Amino acid sequence: MMNDCRTLSQNARIAVLAARDLQDEKSCFVGIGIPSDAACLAKLSHAPNLSMIYESGVIGTLPYSPAMSTGSPSIAYNSDMITDSFTVFGELQAGRIDIGLLSAAQVDAFGNLNSTVIGPYENPKIRMVGSGGAHDIACLVPELIILMPHDSRRFVNDVDFITSPGANKEFAETRLKNKLGSGPVSLITDRARFYMSKDGWKLDAPLAGYSYDEATEDLPWDVGKGINNSITISDDLFNAIRYLPYLEAKN
Amino acid sequence: MDNNFKISKKTKIVSLESAITDNIKPGNIVFLGGFGHAIPFYSSHEIIRQNIKDLTICRSGADILFDQMIASGIVSKVIFGYIGNPGVGLSHSFRKAVKDHKILLEEWTNYSLILRLHAGRMGLPFIPSKILQIGDMPDNIKYMKTIKCPYTDIDMSAIPALVPDVAVIHAQQADEFGNIQMWGVDGDTIEGALASNKIIVSVERIVDNSEIKKFPDRTVIPAHRVSAVVELPWGAYPSYVTDFYSRDDKHYIEYDKISRDPDLLNYYIDEWIRNIQSIEEYMKLIGKKNLKELQNGMCGLKSNDE
Repeated sequence: MMNDCRTLSQNARIAVLAARDLQDEKSCFVGIGIPSDAACLAKLSHAPNLSMIYESGVIGTLPYSPAMSTGSPSIAYNSDMITDSFTVFGELQAGRIDIGLLSAAQVDAFGNLNSTVIGPYENPKIRMVGSGGAHDIACLVPELIILMPHDSRRFVNDVDFITSPGANKEFAETRLKNKLGSGPVSLITDRARFYMSKDGWKLDAPLAGYSYDEATEDLPWDVGKGINNSITISDDLFNAIRYLPYLEAKN
Repeated sequence: MDNNFKISKKTKIVSLESAITDNIKPGNIVFLGGFGHAIPFYSSHEIIRQNIKDLTICRSGADILFDQMIASGIVSKVIFGYIGNPGVGLSHSFRKAVKDHKILLEEWTNYSLILRLHAGRMGLPFIPSKILQIGDMPDNIKYMKTIKCPYTDIDMSAIPALVPDVAVIHAQQADEFGNIQMWGVDGDTIEGALASNKIIVSVERIVDNSEIKKFPDRTVIPAHRVSAVVELPWGAYPSYVTDFYSRDDKHYIEYDKISRDPDLLNYYIDEWIRNIQSIEEYMKLIGKKNLKELQNGMCGLKSNDE
């Protein structure tokens, strides 16, 4: 029987879909919230040897209670290693961390992300938190996965400020020339998975239980017809959600 | 060696009041320690109480301590990678100060800020890095120079050094001479301290030098670099200190509501900062029940016994 993803919370749907992209024995640089939840689900199901690295310097941990900061007790507690931020960002720049997971307020067709301002920089309508490590991860990681709740205001033609650069032609050329990471490879929403093409995001497939129309509702980009009918979530992965009860409690 | 031989060394232990008065001047660049862990809340509150103005405060990832400092009107500039209330939302005082053009921004990213401190720590004018070459840049980064690698010809950013006048950090323990021991999450705390010209440290407890010598690899800052040591148990509340007490997440969540409303925030700053005369009063405000719960919480005292 197919697992019914419509029964899951919005955050849990994003997390299970993203977890599929995290293969065993890879290392991933994760932030707090859904990125960390996704990595936990992968580790609890198909990727027991996935290494999770937090910008606070914590490595090899599996937080069973929700953390509010990458330096929080639930991240530090029971970890394999605590080093400093300089060291983990150095590993990232050296290309020794495989995957990065990021979320933001806005994303465009080429995976440029904004977490700095809504409106102009000098006179913003909303001043947000700024890059944190997001710009650094987007520039340096070989494979970037972007996580977004399906909310039409977040999907735009032009982000108000490119905090974390994506894969448009100009950026892709600099990435290659100056040996940066290659940038975004997939966009995960709570309804579908998209992959990066030279023309921007294209639909892989809707999450099982969701239609094509729901998956592409209000997207300002031409994402094509999709290459698969739907994405089903394995029993292992679906069952792992019960280990993270807070994921269900959210929203 | 003759057991009666004694070296008379200078104590670095001072009152919090003089640690701040003697080392922080109006217009200084101040690094505030603590990456989620061991944030120097109480000693930074003393800067607010002394109303030392026109400060530039800096660190990579900043939380509600920055919000409180900005709300108190003593900050004219922030040098930062992130300012928010992690896991909760935005820094409302920061957002308001930007909207009203009351604060100067020098905006970096977490890694670039850490590299700036690292260059300062090493006495180098800059460090090359691959970041900050693509994407939108605030003006301060637009003026940053690039450099061609003399070996590979690859273009890189020349991330300029940052040397704060003074660092304020919190740690687990120190001896009276100023040997500082800290463990758990560091983030960029030691980076920022060693980049700074002066270092002020508050600690959970003062220990004898013989305790320091048992685990000298836990010493993160040597005595000769430290200007002042103050014993302040619970000095990092509402953040946490590994092996002492856990983080009061509820305080951070509550602060989000409070900091949205100027009247409530003013009341909070009076109650939690301006009217507080001693760390004992601060502990009283935290409340007995809460103190006990936090000691028993994750990474608190009791975590060791499991």
